Amino acid sequence: MSGIARGRLAEERKAWRKNHPHGFVAKPETLPDGSVNLMVWHCTIPGKAGTDWEGGYYPLTLHFSEDYPSKPPKCKFPQGFFHPNVYPSGTVCLSILNEDSGWRPAITVKQILVGIQDLLDQPNPADPAQTEGYHLFIQDTVEYKRRVRQQAKQYPSLI
Amino acid sequence: MEKNLTEAEDLEPLFDYSRVQPLKFTNLDDIESSPDSSKKRRKKSPSVVEKKVKVDVKELEVVNCEEEEEDWLPPPPKVLVENQLGEDSTIKELRLKRQELVSFAKAAEDVLRDAEESVKRKLGDSLEASFGSVADQPSKLPCERAKIVISMQDKEGPKQFRVFMDDKFERLFKMYADKVKLDTKNLVFCFDGDKIGPASTPASLGMEDDDIIEVHVKS
Repeated sequence: MSGIARGRLAEERKAWRKNHPHGFVAKPETLPDGSVNLMVWHCTIPGKAGTDWEGGYYPLTLHFSEDYPSKPPKCKFPQGFFHPNVYPSGTVCLSILNEDSGWRPAITVKQILVGIQDLLDQPNPADPAQTEGYHLFIQDTVEYKRRVRQQAKQYPSLI
Repeated sequence: MEKNLTEAEDLEPLFDYSRVQPLKFTNLDDIESSPDSSKKRRKKSPSVVEKKVKVDVKELEVVNCEEEEEDWLPPPPKVLVENQLGEDSTIKELRLKRQELVSFAKAAEDVLRDAEESVKRKLGDSLEASFGSVADQPSKLPCERAKIVISMQDKEGPKQFRVFMDDKFERLFKMYADKVKLDTKNLVFCFDGDKIGPASTPASLGMEDDDIIEVHVKS
């Protein structure tokens, strides 16, 4: 068991409570017995205003390993999430979340969530992770935008 | 002779060293703590008059208890020199000097303790004072209630509010709504993604200073 991962995650949580962007949620999961599991965080990413993603509050789960922050967390939307860079399993494909590419231990939870919010409206066609989202994005912009707006309605604000 | 001379020369700095040490002498009755060094000394000078050694050992122990092993290094040469030269007057002189030093040390210790206590007292006072100011009332009042600073964050940014830990949120919501000139009916307040009911309190949600309440305007 690494104390480093938990220590860092406790710091991240503390920093988040004092300062985070509006509309975002990020909290470690609470187990049925009331204890807190710092290794899994349940987050919400709001769709950016002025984009087709606006109005959606997208649930994202961060799974941290004992090797965090040497290794990035696995970030997952619900299964079948519509986006060119999200695998059918829901796992987000993003350079800063890739251990062998853009990940740095100094990247904060806040940076991860804001980075994924940016990715929503700015997919990376060079790195597709699902067929449907990718093909519509490069072949049928109208249908792609319709699907995005439809998905935003599927994830309304919980409040 | 030469050996004795060099040892005598070594003597000076060693005593200077012990003169610097006394501040730490605290426990004066732990005689058991130095079996090693007394054994060593006896081995080195088996012909020593038992009484002398005992007296000396006692004093040395008194002086050095609570010290680290290395701090035992200074005393042995003194015993050696004492025994080999047999200079009673010097020993007496040294002993007197040592007593003097010990008393100095005690005095210094007292001064230190006094200073420490006064600092502690001052700290406590200032803590109380700051706490009192946070509570906006004299700390002695029985109705003293803990306060908390909460950040109300809307799209424009955060606004700080100070409320009681056990105050229902409806009061804070009203304060906020008045400030931004909106009706609470059109506002939704969330903590960690969960909507806050008007009857809950910062304490019931386990909130801490500078925690953020998000404000959403109903559309």
